[in-house]
Amino acid sequence: MLGGFLSLVLARQKTLSRGIAVLLLSGGSLLGLIDSAGKLLNPGEAWTSFNYLDLFSLSFHVDGLSAFFLTAIFAVSMMAAIYSFHYMENEEGGIKNGVNYFFFSMLIASMALVVTAANILTFMLSWEIMSLSSFFLVIYGHESSENRKAGYLYFVFTHIGAMFVLGAFGLIYGHTGSFDFAPMADVPEAVKILIFVLSFIGFGSKAGVFPFHVWLPHAHPAAPSHISAVMSGVMIKTGIYGILRIYAILDFHTPIFGYITLIAGVLSGILGVVYALGQHDIKRLLAYHSVENIGIILIGLGMGMIGAATGNPLVTVLGFAGGILHVLNHSIFKSLLFMGAGMVLHQTGTRSIDALGGLLKGMKITGTTFIIASLAICGLPPFNGFVSEFFIYMGSFKSIPLGSMTFAMSIFAIISLAVIGGLALACFTKVVGVVFQGEPRTKVAENAKEHGVAMMVPMGILAAACVIIGVYPKVFINMALKAVQALGLDYGQVPVEPFGHITGNITFAALLFLVLVLIILGTRSIYYRKKTVTRSGTWGCGFTQPTVKMQYTGSSYAGSILEFFSAAAPLTEDHPPIKGRFPVKTHYHSHVNDIAELHMINAVVRPVLYLFDKLRWMQHGDIHLYIGYILLTIILLLFFI
Amino acid sequence: MIQSILLWLAAILAAPFFSGLILKIKAFFGGKKGPPLLINYYTLIKLFKKGSVYSNSTTFVFKLGPVISLAATMTALMFLPIAGHNPIFSFKGDVIFVLYILGLGRFFTIAAAMDTASPFEGMGAAREAYFPIICEAAMFMILIFFYRITGELQLSAYFAGNTTQSMWSSVGAPLLFIVLSFFIILLTENSRVPVDDPATHLELTMIHEVMVLDHSGPDFGLIELGSFCKLIFYSTIISRMILPFESSIFGLPIVLYITGLLVVYVAVGLTESVIARYRMDKVPQFVLTSFALAFFATIITLEFVK
Repeated sequence: MLGGFLSLVLARQKTLSRGIAVLLLSGGSLLGLIDSAGKLLNPGEAWTSFNYLDLFSLSFHVDGLSAFFLTAIFAVSMMAAIYSFHYMENEEGGIKNGVNYFFFSMLIASMALVVTAANILTFMLSWEIMSLSSFFLVIYGHESSENRKAGYLYFVFTHIGAMFVLGAFGLIYGHTGSFDFAPMADVPEAVKILIFVLSFIGFGSKAGVFPFHVWLPHAHPAAPSHISAVMSGVMIKTGIYGILRIYAILDFHTPIFGYITLIAGVLSGILGVVYALGQHDIKRLLAYHSVENIGIILIGLGMGMIGAATGNPLVTVLGFAGGILHVLNHSIFKSLLFMGAGMVLHQTGTRSIDALGGLLKGMKITGTTFIIASLAICGLPPFNGFVSEFFIYMGSFKSIPLGSMTFAMSIFAIISLAVIGGLALACFTKVVGVVFQGEPRTKVAENAKEHGVAMMVPMGILAAACVIIGVYPKVFINMALKAVQALGLDYGQVPVEPFGHITGNITFAALLFLVLVLIILGTRSIYYRKKTVTRSGTWGCGFTQPTVKMQYTGSSYAGSILEFFSAAAPLTEDHPPIKGRFPVKTHYHSHVNDIAELHMINAVVRPVLYLFDKLRWMQHGDIHLYIGYILLTIILLLFFI
Repeated sequence: MIQSILLWLAAILAAPFFSGLILKIKAFFGGKKGPPLLINYYTLIKLFKKGSVYSNSTTFVFKLGPVISLAATMTALMFLPIAGHNPIFSFKGDVIFVLYILGLGRFFTIAAAMDTASPFEGMGAAREAYFPIICEAAMFMILIFFYRITGELQLSAYFAGNTTQSMWSSVGAPLLFIVLSFFIILLTENSRVPVDDPATHLELTMIHEVMVLDHSGPDFGLIELGSFCKLIFYSTIISRMILPFESSIFGLPIVLYITGLLVVYVAVGLTESVIARYRMDKVPQFVLTSFALAFFATIITLEFVK
């Protein structure tokens, strides 16, 4: 925690010097990381509180759950800070960079504060600092109107979300009379459900839960890549943290919470990846994948909540641990993917998937780490995404015999996880295949080389983390179990033993597979030593004049799958048909519509605009009448007190 | 343990033979003599003797593709009870691992195809990415079915010893659905007619064959071996489902197992002889049928298994 503060204070003074800022930020994060990981491994809780003029107290509390999120936050922030050293080198304008680093350090510090806040006031304060500093980071490239629009959209969403959270907190305060995050005892059940729903919407809009995810695909491409990595990797997870914290405070185990969370998770999961498939912009695509992975996390948490409600400890722990571990896993591979995309953007200047190709030849490290992250995000063994998905699967299967409604929910969860897995595989084979493989489609892609040690080192470390967690998940599962324990599910100490078996099995199976791969690879290379190996062009099936434009593009690759999901993801195409004997040039442009965005404009934004248009007469610029309004309100309020 | 390893090796070695059988059956229905039964071994030997040609467009992923996909299938086979015998390895939840490791194999096959920059291979890759999504949903539906009956998530809990037999006696009717559903998955996952046509040389009609157009020599041999192993993996499961009898007489389980395999391969050959490949946009409906069958089977178990 101290590390976060340190970086904040020092980075503010040295904003002009990029190097120093990076050094301090990463150093601070490293300190924070060591501290929080230490807290996770050795049980212990820390309390800190400050009083401001006796009006309200800022208090902080670190338990297993906070420490787990802190670990993810500091780990990713450290990598992103190092990465930014070379990523930001071409940017001009000292003051602009300075401001960027200032808000970056604010963001890291405020995220750390959010997950350690121990009362409502502290939480809201840090929450707002986090939202605002990330808003300023999104509008870094404020010269382009698209980026300003993205920033505005994010601003609106994050504040409507904060409003819902505030509403939920208001209810909590109203019923308990205390600002503290303590388990609530005697509050009517209906109120608890209302609090949960309100905070779920509020935190969901931060986390990017469908249909409140609309800001994500706009904001992530607009921000610089290391910021996207932090925002997508960890900032949206504070929403997940919020949901978990509220769940722990409510201390009310009803299956309804589980159903809400699970259904929201399934919707976000499937739709997120379907929209991702349709994207042409690599960073937008990754942003939609964040929606998908938030969905997977929520499926896990929902399963955990159902388990808690039906009194099945195994399902509870498997679900929660899977979901929470996926938070860490997603933060690792998603930030790695954004860094890879950032490298591509930095070196080629384009984010368009269909304009790239063949980058693996010039960018060995970027390409390889990107492939590793892709495998991890698809949930394939032996990488880290598999471990958390495996836990969620186990939890879902274990809940099958728990009654008919739970059965329906677990079918829902399992099938959607399977479909999400398949779709993610399709999506990432598309990205890897079109961006990194094949032949370069444009001049910039042809000459792209990778550059910047400070960018490659974090990518290498994160890729290694994907493999390490995938093969030896034991330590990380234990960390997740500590976090589950902090939820106060009245099971007391969560036993480590049964889950040790699961992780042991995963390790064993992963090693078995790796050994088999090595054996075949070894035999192959020995065998190939005496062989004649020639190189030539790709077999064009008799066609001898292929051009790079004939390659399958991302759009054509995803076309048939999108057609299958056309009800949820309507496709707009712009393609004038070819006519006449001497056809003129034609073009093709396609865009996948996000139904949430589409309906939100029609159903929410238009009526609200209409309403506000009608209320315009109230705002006339006459200061006397404004004072009159204030007086009138106060008098009216007096009646209620 | 030794016996399990021997069975595993035997299955891998016998896989090409059974695939050759399909060719023979198709030839029989076409009124031809057909290739010799051991044709696949000859092909493999021929391929392993050759050198390789690599496209200028390719990278290391292209060479890694065949290795990973073969290793994935071989790993999957290690967890599968062959002839009702205990598998080499087994743990709780191994089914999920096996399905995902097969997914890893698919990822690399697709990636290797995309590596060549060939539009044909891109087309095949897109289809290879598409149809298994539905297959996977159906597979997991079948797993839910098995879990309801056995309460286990382990291949050995479904197909080893007398477990399959007791499944038949408790939920025979829905299990018939599952067999059919699984057969459809087998056809899809192994790129057989009516989903894909392994025989044509028209690139546009193919999925799996077109993806491996550019592989040559020993690498191509690895791919071929991998696909033979994959087919025998799925066939072994169906074989066990249709002939689940347990017997202590020496050799009888093996005989039953081989009989089951023959039935499956003949069925595949028959399907290929009498049905033409579906139009590509009809394939999803065909694959969805398997999901629907498994789903209904699971619903029926709600009555049988409380």
